[in-house]
Amino acid sequence: MQNSLKKELPARKKYKAAFTALWSALLVFCLVFPLFAGNYYIRFMTLIFIYVILAVGYNIAAGYCGMTTFSAAALYAAGAYASAVAIGRYNLPFFAGVLAAIVVAGIVSLVISLPAFKVKGFYLTLVSMGVLEIVQRILVEWQPVTGGSVGLYLPEWKMLGFTLDKYGKFYVILAAMVLILIFQRNLVKSRWGRDFRAIQNNEVAAGGMGINFRSYRMLGFFINAAISGIAGCLYASFSGYLSPDTFGFNFTVFVLLMVIVGGGGTLSGPVVGAVVATVIPEMFNTSPDLKQIAYGVTLIVLTQALPGGLVGAVKKRFRAIDDNTYVTSESRKGDFDFSNYTVTSTSDSNVILDVRGLTKIYGGLTAVNHLDMTIRRGSVHSLIGPNGAGKTTTVNMITGIDAPSEGSVVFNGKSISEMNMWELARHGVSRTYQHVRLFGHLSVIENVAIGARLSYTHGLLGAIFRSKRMKQEEQASFEEALDYLRVIGLEDKINIEPDNLSSGQQKLLELARALCMKPELLVLDEPCAGLTETETQEFSDLIQKIRNAGISVLLIEHHMSLVMEISDYITVLDYGKKIAEGTPAEVSVNPVVRKAYLGEEEEAC
Amino acid sequence: MQRLIFGLANGSIYSLMALAIGMIYSTTGITNFAHASVIMLGAMTGYWCIALFGLPYLLSLLIAIAVTVASNIIIYKLCVEQLGDLSKQVGWIVTTFGASIILDNVARMVFGTEPQSFPYLFAGKAINILGANIMLHEVMMILIAIFIGTIYETMMQKTRFGRAIRAVSFRPDTARLMGIKSETVILSCFAMAGAVASVAGVLIAPITFASYTMTSSIGIKGFAAALIGGLGNSKGAFIGGLTLGVIEAVVGTFVPAGFKDAISFLIMIIVIIFLPGGILSAKFFKKGASSAEKI
Repeated sequence: MQNSLKKELPARKKYKAAFTALWSALLVFCLVFPLFAGNYYIRFMTLIFIYVILAVGYNIAAGYCGMTTFSAAALYAAGAYASAVAIGRYNLPFFAGVLAAIVVAGIVSLVISLPAFKVKGFYLTLVSMGVLEIVQRILVEWQPVTGGSVGLYLPEWKMLGFTLDKYGKFYVILAAMVLILIFQRNLVKSRWGRDFRAIQNNEVAAGGMGINFRSYRMLGFFINAAISGIAGCLYASFSGYLSPDTFGFNFTVFVLLMVIVGGGGTLSGPVVGAVVATVIPEMFNTSPDLKQIAYGVTLIVLTQALPGGLVGAVKKRFRAIDDNTYVTSESRKGDFDFSNYTVTSTSDSNVILDVRGLTKIYGGLTAVNHLDMTIRRGSVHSLIGPNGAGKTTTVNMITGIDAPSEGSVVFNGKSISEMNMWELARHGVSRTYQHVRLFGHLSVIENVAIGARLSYTHGLLGAIFRSKRMKQEEQASFEEALDYLRVIGLEDKINIEPDNLSSGQQKLLELARALCMKPELLVLDEPCAGLTETETQEFSDLIQKIRNAGISVLLIEHHMSLVMEISDYITVLDYGKKIAEGTPAEVSVNPVVRKAYLGEEEEAC
Repeated sequence: MQRLIFGLANGSIYSLMALAIGMIYSTTGITNFAHASVIMLGAMTGYWCIALFGLPYLLSLLIAIAVTVASNIIIYKLCVEQLGDLSKQVGWIVTTFGASIILDNVARMVFGTEPQSFPYLFAGKAINILGANIMLHEVMMILIAIFIGTIYETMMQKTRFGRAIRAVSFRPDTARLMGIKSETVILSCFAMAGAVASVAGVLIAPITFASYTMTSSIGIKGFAAALIGGLGNSKGAFIGGLTLGVIEAVVGTFVPAGFKDAISFLIMIIVIIFLPGGILSAKFFKKGASSAEKI
């Protein structure tokens, strides 16, 4: 593996140069295009630029955040009409129109994304369809402002005192498109893009990394709306006339089509998609029915045959294009030693986690019944019990995934039973899951590096403008992630996707991700289930190293020999009740435990 | 009174749509966004059989049912089956939309753009109840919808097939291990939804006229009804559909026609925000009932 990776590196550089050349050639082509093209084609090209901007916005919400909505036309219309009213009716300058477009489209986006606070998936789709219908009614019925079905005329496009002719419009919109593309690139290739993709991949695990997925969804959708608003504003000034018919359901489908064709969740997908989706239907201009049918067929076929769109298919052949640029497997000498690693605590109390009277009732079933449990700082505390004893329910309540029906959880002297999982992550609790929850669209190293986001100090603007601090912090977190990958022996697989790892490696990767958050309390939910004996032994060594580093561990595990070997203290659950606790020696001779647990089941290994 | 019956009649169509949407949702966890187009297809087929070929009403209905059942099965085979695990992706939203676009435009090419009048049941006869003129057709719409709903509910509770559906909707993989053919069950749910779509289409067509856009505005309202009542809940589908129909009829007297549809969508959005499980969930609100299984 190490060797093959080394061989790949020169090739990667070569085609990186090829791609750069391709993009530069495209830019030059766009710049000189008006010199030889006729009026019709200049207009056509300008429209494509606007559609690219629109597709970039939709791609951020649908491709990266995973929010499939049908309101693209509504956001576009909101921007177009808001700027038209600001410029045409109130004689405001162009940039005030842009601002109005962003604000109004943003407000419409909040109407759609606020429900996403609670629900997701097709609920969001339906809400967005409803909003699109409502916006259309408003465009038609609110005649004093929107001009109704007659439409709305705009004055000549003036910018900074100049009146723009067709060339001026072309270059202004081209510049806007390039800026938006750079914005997209910088946003996606930063922690924000990783966070968005993490939410799309696995919401629960993203929450466990400290990502407030609710507000991030709203943010992603707001960015979508702002960009759509800008596109709408440019369209309004460019065309000089707005009619409600432009912003119908078919246009929403067209935007969706651009992203599906090009490839959602890829940087160049919107560009490719906008060009293909605009140029190919030109061939069907004589028959609008066939054009719509072609749209429908493309949606069905491409979604199933090329889930990543055209760009996704190309990227499969040139995998290394997405490699992280911060570290490569040979860029660092291996001077990291986990045994020297220590965690500094925010509190010096002897008890890190205190659970009192914790109860969870599902319908008529009491899954956990008045559980009391105290975890001492720096210890490995195991929670054992037969299947269905309530172990996972207990840790779900401790880590904020489920709200307790009763009882309290105090962590480092603070009550955490009311906290969300992302707040808990920020306070120093991290966990792994019984069924692995990795982020499938992120590379191995990104999966780990995302844990370091908790210590980041740069904001969204820092990421967009590539501030020095942002670069330093990203570099540091990727190097740190590489250190953890060395600990678990995956340092030669940093740029592949986690789905290609064995299940044991995936479990280890989850552990590395949890460690990269530098938790004070690490919760491991059956980390050794499905591992071979050698892997289990490695895990056991690792857990001891983690404890030596000062991290307290709460462990759920069925391998009794492992539990007995590494635990400092054991709590035994059965039917949601604590039936025993004590040191491994005490628990193993406890008659109640032997009857409920060890007596019925032979030792697991 | 007249308005109320009209509202209930429209509501019964929303209920039938919600019921069909729920059938598919309960076994696959997806919603068929092409459903409104399938209803239109049923109505247009019925129109052709009655008006152009002069076939009797019932036979036309049967042919329409056959067509929509077939089209729903095709939709499942082409748009859904190949996608794999539906719970992990949203590709089906796009593919079923694609199917809807294709159906609408094929219908536009085949049937033309002109809305056609569709015969009422009992030739549009109206009766006088308590001083209100009520069309027998509207009464029949309500009765037929309730009849279908009752049959479905009985089937779900009493028959072996109904139990199989419930098993598949609860745990598809486990159901498969227990010897239930999940694929067959899902396919029959798509087929049943197609049959219900034809009935709904033929019943609503006299009111909306038969055209390729006849369901474009009531399309989302079927989803709204399903959501208001709670997805996959057949009683909820009727409560949601009828409530929505009556609210529309009442609100329609105060606001301009253009905004009437907007009101329905507004209600839907409010319900989604405040009661994501539908209005039935308000009474028996079981918080986080199944979140333990997801982890």
